[in-house]
Amino acid sequence: MTLFTKADCQKCHYIKDHFNLPSLGIQEEILGEDNAEALAHLAWHELIETAQKELPILILDDNTAVVGAIPIKKYLSHQNGN
Amino acid sequence: MGTIVELHQDPKVSEVKETTDLALFVRTSNEDLVTWNRQRIVDALVRETLVDFDTAEAISKEVEEFIFSTKISMVTAPLIRELVDSKLIERGLEKARIMHTRLGVPLYDVDQMIVHPNKENANVPHGPEATNLTLAEGIKKEYALLSVFSSQVGDAHMRGDFHLHDLGFIDRPYCSGQSLEYIKRFGLNLPNALSMAKPAKHPEVLLAHMVKFAAALQSHFAGAIGWDAVNLFFAPYLEGLSDREIKQLAQMMIFEFSQQAVARGGQAIFTDINLYWEVPRHFEKVPAIGPGGKYTGKTYLDYLPLAQKFVWLLFDVFKEGDGAGRPFFFPKPLVHITEKFFQTPNHQEFLNHICEVAALKGNTYFVFDRGQTAKISECCRLSFKLEAQDLLDAHEPWRMRYCALQNVTINFPRLAYQAEGNDTTLFAKLAESVELAVEAHLQKNAFILKLLSLGERGPLSLLTMDRDGSPYLRLQRATYLIGMVGLNELVQYHTGEELHESQKAIKFGLKVIAYMKLLTDRFSQKYGMRFVLEQTPAESTAYRFAKLDLQKYPEQAGKVIKGDKAQGEVYYTNSTLFNISAQMNPVDRVRYEGLFHPLIEAGALTHIWIGESRPDKESLANFIIKTFKLTKNDQIAFSPEFTTCRACGQTSRGLMEKCPYCGSAEVDGITRITGYFTKISSWNKGKIGELRDRYRNTPYFSMREAVSPGVEEPT
Repeated sequence: MTLFTKADCQKCHYIKDHFNLPSLGIQEEILGEDNAEALAHLAWHELIETAQKELPILILDDNTAVVGAIPIKKYLSHQNGN
Repeated sequence: MGTIVELHQDPKVSEVKETTDLALFVRTSNEDLVTWNRQRIVDALVRETLVDFDTAEAISKEVEEFIFSTKISMVTAPLIRELVDSKLIERGLEKARIMHTRLGVPLYDVDQMIVHPNKENANVPHGPEATNLTLAEGIKKEYALLSVFSSQVGDAHMRGDFHLHDLGFIDRPYCSGQSLEYIKRFGLNLPNALSMAKPAKHPEVLLAHMVKFAAALQSHFAGAIGWDAVNLFFAPYLEGLSDREIKQLAQMMIFEFSQQAVARGGQAIFTDINLYWEVPRHFEKVPAIGPGGKYTGKTYLDYLPLAQKFVWLLFDVFKEGDGAGRPFFFPKPLVHITEKFFQTPNHQEFLNHICEVAALKGNTYFVFDRGQTAKISECCRLSFKLEAQDLLDAHEPWRMRYCALQNVTINFPRLAYQAEGNDTTLFAKLAESVELAVEAHLQKNAFILKLLSLGERGPLSLLTMDRDGSPYLRLQRATYLIGMVGLNELVQYHTGEELHESQKAIKFGLKVIAYMKLLTDRFSQKYGMRFVLEQTPAESTAYRFAKLDLQKYPEQAGKVIKGDKAQGEVYYTNSTLFNISAQMNPVDRVRYEGLFHPLIEAGALTHIWIGESRPDKESLANFIIKTFKLTKNDQIAFSPEFTTCRACGQTSRGLMEKCPYCGSAEVDGITRITGYFTKISSWNKGKIGELRDRYRNTPYFSMREAVSPGVEEPT
């Protein structure tokens, strides 16, 4: 799984603070002015416009996306059995 | 400039020893003969260069002595200038030589231009006006490369590292998008015009104003002239008209813009009309301007039925085609497909209608504005995305005027050749190219600012006219385009696979474009200007780059270049498009090419070549709905092909070597070259090569028996 975040995104920090991403098999990609790889990855998932409106975005293994801190928290909590 | 010096060796003075006694005459531009005067050389050197007087004096004497010693019968002004330049070179005064150089065209070249058509732009028919245009462009190109741009930028263009578009139009911006509301409110009140017209009171007068203003704008912009929401803004003028009268107006509009071959250089005005089935949200509550430039007391939302009637009838006219049943080349109708489109009653019937036109004639462009996006589209695929301030301006729509100042296109495959498979080098080279393209924009911007500062007495007086508190050209809202040619070949050379061959190749292509976008964002922040990516149409650039690379990088280019090398019909794949000959399902092509579109802010397009197929309107409409809902694709056009016969005047579907009606071989093909329809005989060799390679999607689109109006089936 991949979590798209930005450095100045409070909601992104909220997710990162609440979950141990590596232990959940989640790789973080931080969108920024020097990260073409992350932007390209976002484009591949057709999520550029979505990311302009809302972050974080979690890409699941089946390539579906969970958008926004609350839905992501719910999803990950459920995955953790909490 | 423009003078000829004739040397008449009067027998009486043939034995003179002093060169100053020579009977040299200068034919001036005032149609006067004046005697030879060496001082003119001195004056020119001092006036035009930084050479000191003594050096100028010495050079003038050397040149005069040389002319005398040759005993030639006629000396031309260009020759004198070249002789002076050679003396400057002898003295190591290279900068002075450039400042003193003469711009012009060799006699042989002029002869060729007069006799043979110029195929750089297929929208320019051959004729005396076109020759004038080509000659003027030639000189202004030289001027731009010597005087507007730095040698670093000029050399990059000459080498083919990138392409500076429309150098022949260096003294004007690239293209513009605007609103009919400007002329509805202010009438036709142009600087330097012989008369001023008040706001139109009748629809046909409004149309006349629109056409004349478009011609005036064509003289001040290099490329396309786009109009926003044309059917909506015409609507207040249509009250009380019968369907027949509205259809007549629709017909007049399309014929007026398609027959403007009397405009600049015999070139039709590249006109785009943006059309809506719904009233865009940002215009819903805007007070409508009607006849006489007066508010009607209604909002534009009240005019929805009339706007819908007008756009429907416009497409009726497109469906019929011209007098010979051929598709209209201009104006290009761009229909915006939005969320609101699907919420507007009868949208399905309208979608079927415009899809029928797309299938039969190919005219329709489907522009997808998803979410809150709103834009004005034009040129081959350019679009101006409306920002928050623009949406506020929409309350006074005449303020909605946009321009792109220049377009610089980077030769992508060459970056791959230079990188030799090394990622770091590839991205470093790309960064260098983008930085130099930005430099080119800064230089052109400075030049245009200088011209604009001359105000209403300057060459761009039309763009400085102030009718609403700001100049017509709102430079603060200009965009600066950076395009690309040959992403497919870059990826192919660098990774070994073309874009359509693997997901890995697409992902690498996305990384290249994402990197480029981030670079332009950074430069935009640095300079406070909008540097944005565009899928350059590259009608001739894709050919030019391919030819240059076959000379400079024959081994590398030979592996990836497309087309027929033996015939010289070579090209690179345009912008971020996939291989034109790849036998991809069009659904996949639209989806995968569309992955790039959100990164290309200033416009992107996917072509669906349909050749002689005639897909039914319902299947095309279904295709459009799926494209809107399931992909990120920005714009689609379907391109059928036609054969028109010069002997019998009939038009047939498909490209044929002989007319199926009369058997004549005097035929010409018609189809879309980049973003517009033209006759194939006017295409450059690269585009001919591409045409041969185009995959026409025949297996996907069903062959129906619907007959195009005006295109009868031969019996």
